[in-house]
Amino acid sequence: MTEPLLRTEGLTRHFRVGKLLSGQTLHAVDDVDLTIGRGEIVALVGESGSGKSTIARLLARVYKPTSGEIYFEGKPLSGMRSRRQRLAYCSDVPMVFQDPYSSINPAYRIAHAIGRGVRLHRRGLGHKGRRLEVEQVLDAVGLVPSGAAARKFPYELSGGQRQRVGFAQALAFRPKLIIADEPVSMLDVSIRIGILNLMSELREREGVSFLYITHDVASARYIADRVLVMYAGHLVEEGPTEAVLQRPKHPYTQLLLSAVPDPRAELRLSDKTDVGEPPKVIDPGEGCRFQPRCPFAIERCEVETPRLRPIGVHRLVACHVAEADAEDLHPDDAHLALTDS
Amino acid sequence: MSAQAMTATVEPATTPGPDPPLAEARRGFGADLWRAVGRNRKALAGLILLGFFLVLAVFPGQVAPHDPNAEVYQPALGPSAHHWFGTTAYGQDVLSQLIWGTRQSVIIAFAVGGLATALAVLIGVSAAYLGGIADGVLSLVFPLIIVIAAYEKNSGLFTLVVVLGALGWSYGARQLRSQTLSLRTRDFLESARVRGERKSYVIVFEILPTMTSLIVATFLGGALYAVLAAAGLQFIGLGDPNSQSWGTMLYWAENNEALGANMVLWAIMPGICVAGLGAAFALLNYAFDEISNPALRMRRLDRQIDTARNEAPVRRDGPPEPDGILAVRGLTVAYASDDGPVVAVDNVDLDVGRGEFLGIVGESGCGKSTLLYAIARLLGPPFAGQIMKGEILFQGRDLVALTERQLRHVRWREFSVVMQSAMNALNPVLSIRAQMRDACKAHSNLTAKAIEERSKEVLRLVSIDPLHLDSYPHQLSGGMRQRAMIAMALLFTPDLIIMDEPTSALDVVAQRSLMVQIKELQHKLGFAVVFVTHDMSLVSHFSDRVLVMYAAQVAEFGKTRQIFEHARHPYTRALLDAFPSIHGPKVHLAGIPGTPPDLSRPPAGCRFAPRCPHVMPRCTSAVPPLFNVERDLVRCVLYENGELPEGALATASQGAV
Repeated sequence: MTEPLLRTEGLTRHFRVGKLLSGQTLHAVDDVDLTIGRGEIVALVGESGSGKSTIARLLARVYKPTSGEIYFEGKPLSGMRSRRQRLAYCSDVPMVFQDPYSSINPAYRIAHAIGRGVRLHRRGLGHKGRRLEVEQVLDAVGLVPSGAAARKFPYELSGGQRQRVGFAQALAFRPKLIIADEPVSMLDVSIRIGILNLMSELREREGVSFLYITHDVASARYIADRVLVMYAGHLVEEGPTEAVLQRPKHPYTQLLLSAVPDPRAELRLSDKTDVGEPPKVIDPGEGCRFQPRCPFAIERCEVETPRLRPIGVHRLVACHVAEADAEDLHPDDAHLALTDS
Repeated sequence: MSAQAMTATVEPATTPGPDPPLAEARRGFGADLWRAVGRNRKALAGLILLGFFLVLAVFPGQVAPHDPNAEVYQPALGPSAHHWFGTTAYGQDVLSQLIWGTRQSVIIAFAVGGLATALAVLIGVSAAYLGGIADGVLSLVFPLIIVIAAYEKNSGLFTLVVVLGALGWSYGARQLRSQTLSLRTRDFLESARVRGERKSYVIVFEILPTMTSLIVATFLGGALYAVLAAAGLQFIGLGDPNSQSWGTMLYWAENNEALGANMVLWAIMPGICVAGLGAAFALLNYAFDEISNPALRMRRLDRQIDTARNEAPVRRDGPPEPDGILAVRGLTVAYASDDGPVVAVDNVDLDVGRGEFLGIVGESGCGKSTLLYAIARLLGPPFAGQIMKGEILFQGRDLVALTERQLRHVRWREFSVVMQSAMNALNPVLSIRAQMRDACKAHSNLTAKAIEERSKEVLRLVSIDPLHLDSYPHQLSGGMRQRAMIAMALLFTPDLIIMDEPTSALDVVAQRSLMVQIKELQHKLGFAVVFVTHDMSLVSHFSDRVLVMYAAQVAEFGKTRQIFEHARHPYTRALLDAFPSIHGPKVHLAGIPGTPPDLSRPPAGCRFAPRCPHVMPRCTSAVPPLFNVERDLVRCVLYENGELPEGALATASQGAV
């Protein structure tokens, strides 16, 4: 594995909910350790309410962690004191938002949306340098001719084009890691692939790492090297994409995979349908959070929270029941999966 | 991946993206604004009126025929050539007084409008964005100003402006505040924060520009209010009695009982002037609302669509199937836009059999939702489309010919509709029980007890505990809300349920379970389903037949299994190849280059031609008809002579790798 660009230790974020006195705590993210390597695309997969967007906002410093620490290039974020250091981090780790219709200010032309970031983070550039930079990043995300695109207003662009502007904004910072929070889920299926291709292209060309947050497992498989599966605030499974998706270990990962509609697969209407949804984790006790929905739950699951444990090469799972496959114990397999793209 | 594939996904700069009504709402202000003003009669009238008063206010000396204060004329004269509006009880010329009085009203209007707007922006926006204490303190401080100002002995123009401004900000501030609160969750503000912007920058440069229209409205409203309030205050003698203003004129006219004497115009004309200036601001305010929100403008849709327009040829393959429940024939729907009618559904034919599941797929903006709303006869604001021609035969009756009253008996009882977002479709302040009851009462005369029973029954059908009858929509999860919507659609056991992307707001697991549930209910109750989605894979396992729409027309229509195993139209093939699978080998995908065409200017000939990998010269000459290829209807000239040989289209759909 590459040397980590970003690492979290015990990252936790709780929100207070309810009234002042009868205060309850919503555990959005609990004790998450994750790493993102240089030039790596990591997919964070889970349903809404699983805490994946909270992780994105923790990494983008919109929220402060309740406990735990984020290390970027080895340095803890809580150690940042000056506005300059914080700005430097902002430009290293920008974020692309889910809804392309609300993530660009409708009152300004595209050039402003991108140029403002350049102005903020790269003060050396003059007016002309900024304009060139804006056109260059628009070129890079495939909005050509870039001069014309820069003069447009957001309403003149389609959803897919707007999302490209979102990536152009991020690129203009010369980032090291882009946090992409469900960047394709609001787009038509037919144009999603263009955005996914853009992400892997930017990784190849600019060496940017991505944290790709999604509930769509198939798209994660298409671009990610590694996949992290989240359920109710916990990471429940982690490993090389192909290994996790072909041989899911955690029962939740298995459920998630079985729900993906695939016209190429046979229909099995007899599938037991799971009508449950991820719980809101309010003042939780011990025990596996998936246990109420889990077909394999044993007594131990109710009393002891499973921790992530190694299961095969490069693979981790938080489940008392899961067992390693022979294939996962074979060291070559994981390596193959990493380079297969 | 090659650079070629990258740029291939970008459409030519000449086709602007989103649908026309939305596009205008998001328009920036500039040259477009002037064009819009030129077209808006209210704006023109308001500007002319305001211009007239401005000229009077700026050049009273040049315009007025006499000195307004000179008490040199004969008092209480009637109108004459020398004194158009007569003279006052003191022998002053009324017309000249009116003209000189304009200045103060205009100054008050602009000063108070400006002050009230500035305060409203400051208080409304900062209070909402910063929240907490700032909110309370700012709202407390400003009423104090009124007291301080009122304490001032000599209530001159300045005092008047300050008092009116301090009184007038609150309405605008409330609106700006709520607007800011709704903006606070918009991603572009979060994006600015993530970028590292300071709060002051976010307020001034990110929030304010998006509220231009509201700020202008606040200013115009403030000005209007100031003109009326100042005149009113002066009329009852609260102003400086020696000032030159319409209100003061009214005050003196009233004191001299002008109406009773021969000086009617002395009393009436200032009022007319106040009304005129007020009207100018009101007209501009209305006009601005209309320009910034095109939905308010009434547009006429010509029933006659240009018949030479390139229209989709349709083949009629005999009468509808005998067990058909719905037969749509030649349905054409258009929206009015500033650039003429936009045909969003073009000559669509379709049949739905009893108990059948029909999937309608296509990209956004291809007309699939419009088709569905037309079938349900739900077109109308905000879906301001009109059925231009065609028939919708439901159980033998033509829905197009029914009146709204007749429709009420059919809709919900015989067919029902499930909307895309349950959160928007359900009333947030009513419990599920109340909403079920309202639906039952509107469409039947069931007793309260029967309604209760039925409500419980349908909730059980969709696996929701009847306890949730007392729940409010926000207390239910996304999946449960959609189930509740479906339960409501089932209240009268309809024969047809029309669904508009009911699962697209849900996660995969919830989506899957909802689809399975719909299918199970269908087996149990036997209703037919028309299901609209942009995700073709979603319907692959659940629909009997699939209709693929492209740019308002039917591109392909056939049995689901056949279409998924052997798609014929290049567009269908492209849709199927557009998204990765979780099984099988990983392949590079190119997606579909470009975007669907702008329906106000559809391309000549086949509408998919600009994006089609198999395009030929004759594709652009005429719209191809629907060819019947082994009971699959395909609108593509490749199938002119029936089926293609095996593998003829094999490699093209993989795109540039």
